[in-house]
Amino acid sequence: MATVKFSNIVKNFKDNQVLKRVDLEIKDHEFVVIVGPSGCGKTTLLRMLAGLEEISSGEIHIDDTLVNHLHPSKRQIAMVFQDYALYPHMTVEENMSFSLRIKSAPRKEIQERVAEAASILQLGKLLKRMPKQLSGGQRQRVAIGRAIVRQPKVFLFDEPLSNLDAKLREEMRVEIAKLYQRLGATIIYVTHDQVEAMTLAGRIVIMNQGVIQQVGTPIEVYRKPDNLFVAGFIGSPTMNFIEGTLRVEKGHVRFVSPSLSLDLPASLLPAEGAHEGREAVIGVRPDDVYAGREAGKNCSQKVDAVLEVSELLGHRENLYLKAGDLRLLATVEAFFNQSPGSVVPVCFNFENMHVFDKASQKRLSA
Amino acid sequence: MELLRSVYEVAGFILLIALGVAALEGYFYYHFKFHDRPWFFWAGLAVFPLLVWSGFVAGGIAKPGLFAWLFAIEAVVLAFFRYAVKGRHSLAYLLLLPAFVGLALLLVYPFLFEVYLSFHDLKLTTIMMWKNTGKIPFVGLEQYVKVFTTSPLSEVTFWALLGRTLLWTFSNVFFHVLGGFALALLLNNAISLKGVYRTLLVIPWAMPQVVAVLAMRGEFHSQNGFVNIILGRIAEAYPLLAGLGVGPVQWLSDYPLLTCTIINVWLGIPFMMVVILGGLQSISTSYYDAADIDGASYFQKLRYITLPLVKPVLMPAVTLGTVWTFNNINVIYLVTGQAGGTEQADILVSALYKAAFTYNRYSYSAAFAIVVFALLFFISVTYLHGFDAAKDER
Ligand SMILES: Nc1ncnc2c1ncn2[C@@H]1O[C@H](COP(=O)(O)OP(=O)(O)O)[C@@H](O)[C@H]1O
Ligand SMILES: [Mg+2]
Repeated sequence: MATVKFSNIVKNFKDNQVLKRVDLEIKDHEFVVIVGPSGCGKTTLLRMLAGLEEISSGEIHIDDTLVNHLHPSKRQIAMVFQDYALYPHMTVEENMSFSLRIKSAPRKEIQERVAEAASILQLGKLLKRMPKQLSGGQRQRVAIGRAIVRQPKVFLFDEPLSNLDAKLREEMRVEIAKLYQRLGATIIYVTHDQVEAMTLAGRIVIMNQGVIQQVGTPIEVYRKPDNLFVAGFIGSPTMNFIEGTLRVEKGHVRFVSPSLSLDLPASLLPAEGAHEGREAVIGVRPDDVYAGREAGKNCSQKVDAVLEVSELLGHRENLYLKAGDLRLLATVEAFFNQSPGSVVPVCFNFENMHVFDKASQKRLSA
Repeated sequence: MELLRSVYEVAGFILLIALGVAALEGYFYYHFKFHDRPWFFWAGLAVFPLLVWSGFVAGGIAKPGLFAWLFAIEAVVLAFFRYAVKGRHSLAYLLLLPAFVGLALLLVYPFLFEVYLSFHDLKLTTIMMWKNTGKIPFVGLEQYVKVFTTSPLSEVTFWALLGRTLLWTFSNVFFHVLGGFALALLLNNAISLKGVYRTLLVIPWAMPQVVAVLAMRGEFHSQNGFVNIILGRIAEAYPLLAGLGVGPVQWLSDYPLLTCTIINVWLGIPFMMVVILGGLQSISTSYYDAADIDGASYFQKLRYITLPLVKPVLMPAVTLGTVWTFNNINVIYLVTGQAGGTEQADILVSALYKAAFTYNRYSYSAAFAIVVFALLFFISVTYLHGFDAAKDER
């Protein structure tokens, strides 16, 4: 049973405001991933929850208990650090049992809990090793093991996979997902990698410059990004953005830009006088840009674009296109049999298109 | 004029050293470079012994038979370079050469001479014989026996001195580490004016030891010293404490070793503090974060994290500190060694110094020095083993 509630959290380092009024509620048994670019304050937020960093103002509750002034060890949390922070002079076993040993827990209990954690993480053979004798992935598992032994209400992970190579990162991602199912604890996981966020999270919290941009399930933040930042941050490859002006014409909205103009369907943006003359940005993911044959069968309102470069990914292919002065990325099915320099027809999937207000950066479309 | 002459002398000395180094380099350059030429042997034999010999003659210190010796030595050197070295690694050796020769002159030669002395009998009564004939009586191990059976001073025995030295060394090093650790822990916190404190604390280390020790000795003076004045004031202000025996003390005559220890502790703390502070600053803060979450108290963090992690820097410093303290003649000699000084504070090396230069027992002191060297060697090796083991743990 563990819920976490951040209310109006502010953090200042001298004059530098790193977190600006963060409000967030995390439910019991939830896997929440906080994602954002480096330096946006994710670690700081996590450290404040752990009690390692002072709270400038605001309140943090764990299970309705105000923990602002509670010692880290009393908060029933466990943290896995980015650099693992394994005690270098202790064996794996000693590292994992440290919290119990300093409390003088009964030896039998210590053994049982270490053995249990070791079996969950398959660390049995490594218990007598020193941290420096372990590979990166093994150290990672020991750091998680140390957290499990404490039987915390909330697990905190700070970029746990960022020091691993790509293949190992994928493996550990799956292991962490399995671990979550097995432990059923509340997990707060911080990362700058949106792929990790999308694959692991029950709910994603997207942060930028100390402000929460959007909270939602992976599908929600992918399908309906609240603002331009989220739209650009979530999804790979990155969304295409087209800047232009909105005109309200007989019953529909027309988007006008130097390179292309589009009549937006009412399902995307209903015609209202308020939109007349508004500076807007259209966002469309590379998957929703149709080119060549796909453009022929799927849509109206075609534009001609020049193919600059194409990249074969396997079953998909990235096309770097240029329509007028506008650069577009389209991801289409392989094999797109056109050589660079040729002119291809391009159109857009209006169902998955997003319209944002340029001034407020907020989402306009439904 | 005085100044000019000093400059002239110093410049001349530097020039002389430069010439010496150049000559050495030239000498070995020849042996490296031309080792495979047909004229290597006879040119070498014709030139070098003659040059050195004429140098000796010019200096007026040539002896009969010298030329033959030089000739033989040169023949060996030439053969060594032709058949063993064969011109390999010449640049490396040529660059190392000045340092090697310097070390040989400053360390190896005196050490060998000391070993030689320790098996002979050079003292006030035989020194004139040595000067006149160049010979001193060979006595075998007698000097070593004397080291353990007679006193280097007027009364204290070797064994008493050894005990006192060990007590002196370990109490000093213990307080150096304790004080250094405490101060380093304080300085490692985020306190304001840290730089100022650090500078003030390093002063005793930065000051010339002679000045620092003599100044401190003044403070332990029975009437005018700071320490006794303070003790007097305390006794006046708190009669209760005075009743318990607090009051001015004859530091230098009644407690000379304690006085020396206090002074040397004060002198030695900064070094340990600086070393330990460096060690503390290299410990990643994330270990302390992890320990906080694990619920370790301040002392548990000190015991289980700080101590083991500064050990790798602490152990070499403790070894050095032990050797320095064991060999520390400055403090003891400057505090107690003046005319009418007491023997109560003497440790092995200060007794050794007195035996050699007050009582003029040169051979005896040479044997004594070798025994002290053996002791220190043993202690250092033990320590080194200790921290090799510590390193394996990590
Ligand atoms: N101890 C500190 N003192 C001053 N500034 C800090 C400190 N820790 C972090 N910051 C600043 O706070 C901001 C957020 O840091 P952090 O929470 O580590 O970001 P993230 O984990 O999202 O990469 C950064 O701009 C960083 O420079
Ligand atoms: Mg971070």
